[in-house]
This record gives sequence, structure tokens and C-alpha cells, in this order.
Amino acid sequence: MSKPEFIYVTYIETTAEKLWHALTDGEFTARYWFGARLRSDWKVGSSFEMVRSDGTVSDAGKVVECDPPRRLAYTFINLSDKYKNEFPALATFVLEPYGKLVKLTLTQEGFVEGGKFYAGISKGWPAILSSLKSILETGTPLEIPFEALKMND
Amino acid sequence: MPKPEYVYVIYIDAPCEKVFDALIDPEMNKEYWGRHCNLSDWKTGSRWQHADYDDRSKVVVTGTVIESDRPHRLVLSWARPESLGDPDKTSRVTFSIDEQFGSTRLTVVHDELDTEMLRAISGGWPPILSSLKTLLETGESLPMTRRRWKSGN
Repeated sequence: MSKPEFIYVTYIETTAEKLWHALTDGEFTARYWFGARLRSDWKVGSSFEMVRSDGTVSDAGKVVECDPPRRLAYTFINLSDKYKNEFPALATFVLEPYGKLVKLTLTQEGFVEGGKFYAGISKGWPAILSSLKSILETGTPLEIPFEALKMND
Repeated sequence: MPKPEYVYVIYIDAPCEKVFDALIDPEMNKEYWGRHCNLSDWKTGSRWQHADYDDRSKVVVTGTVIESDRPHRLVLSWARPESLGDPDKTSRVTFSIDEQFGSTRLTVVHDELDTEMLRAISGGWPPILSSLKTLLETGESLPMTRRRWKSGN
């Protein structure tokens, strides 16, 4: 039985450089990522954090790969008690220019078998990446509040 | 062994009705579905066809409308025309459309797949659904999805 792996592919009308900026600039991520500001110096081995608007850290891990504007990889785990027996899982972003578009492939793997974190990120990523696509193509993110993801728990 | 299942979730800044109608309107289909369109009277039990927009005798996928409940649910059986009636080569697509805090969440579940069809649709749904979102949010689809694809799907 294979371990769970999450894969999401989306095509965005933008450049690889703009998409890279959108994925790594904390001020920008705060606009489309449920208000989360990503905090890191993006050096391999450095810490990676998602910071809520009140300054608290929701998720944390380490930078594993940073090759702008093509590949970015970091581990993270949500710090709530719900996932206290689980470990950071590796998220890898691959950006491939495709004419006037960029194909973005996100893969997240390394989940604990039978854990809850996989289900959590499986709900989160489609909303985050949909909002990312909207903000890059229209200038306006989607207004999906974080609570929207908890409804079917 | 259970047959493979494919799931894609995307959030779109448009009302549920517009998302539902975009799935069944040939004029919209052709803009984001590789110059192909979906044809039916969309009544439960009716035949539906996915055909070349300019030559509708070129049907590449066909099946039955299993459920049609505008604007929230559309369920179709899905087969190559030459495999119609062969349960081993007939899959099922469920479109679920619901409002989530001002955005519309479109969930596509394509299940009962054989391996050949899994391969074909895994490459197809991300550009089609990415382009559908772009069309509904900006008024124009992603250019590469306006043209016919080599696979004809």
C-alpha cells in the first residue's frame, strides 16, 4: 500500500518570476493565503514558518530546496495539538513556463500513515492555490476564510 | 482491487449557476475545453456527447446523464464511443458545485477509471478546470485550451 501523496497542478497566466515572488514574499502571501505571512530567508536548511496576522506561528518546518524561479521545497507541519504525533511533510513546487502561462505542480509527501495532516492539507491547498491564481490573473484574491475548510471535519 | 479515482477541487469567483452552465454550454466549452463541447438535453437518463465544436460528428467521449440537478450536481458516465456499454471501460464523473463564503467550490470526482483513461484525464482536468476558472473570472480563457489538442480529448 503506497503512502498518501498530495498532487495539485494548476495553470496560471503569469510569469515564473511573478509566481516565484507570490510564493515566497510574506507580504504577498498574506493577501491570498488565509492571511498567513510566510517567513524564511529561503536558504537551504533555514527555518520556514507560516505567521498568522496576530503574529503567532501556525505551521513550521525547514527549507529543503530553493532554485528560483523553478523549484522550491520546504517541510512543514501544523503546530496545533491535532497533529502532535505527526512530522513535517515535504512540499515541492515546480514552476514550468508554458507559453504565456506557468504550469505549477505542487507535491506534498512524507505523511505519517493513518495521520490527520494529509486530510488537512488536502483541503487547504486547493483553496490557497485557487486564490493564488485569482490574485495573479485578476489582482484580487478569493475571500475564503479559514473556517470554510473546517466545515466538513 | 478498487478502480482508481481522480479528484480535483477548484474555487471560482462566480455564482454556482454560472459554473454549472459553463460545464454544459457549447459556446463556453469550446473556449476552455480544447475546441470541444458537451452536447445533451441534460435530462437524467439522456445520452451526452463530448464532440469537436466544429464537426460534431467527431465524438470523443460519450455516456449517460446519471444525475442533473442545476446548479449543484451533475453526474455523467464517461466512455470512448467504441467502448460504450463496456462496464470495464466506462468511468463516472461527478461535478459538485457549492457556495463557500462567497466563492464557488467545484469538486470533480472522476472514478471507476481504467488505467488508460486515468492517464488521459489526469493530464486533462488541470488545464481544463484552470482555464474554466480564468474564463469565468476574467472573461477570457487560457489561450492553449482554445485549440484542439493532439489527443483529441
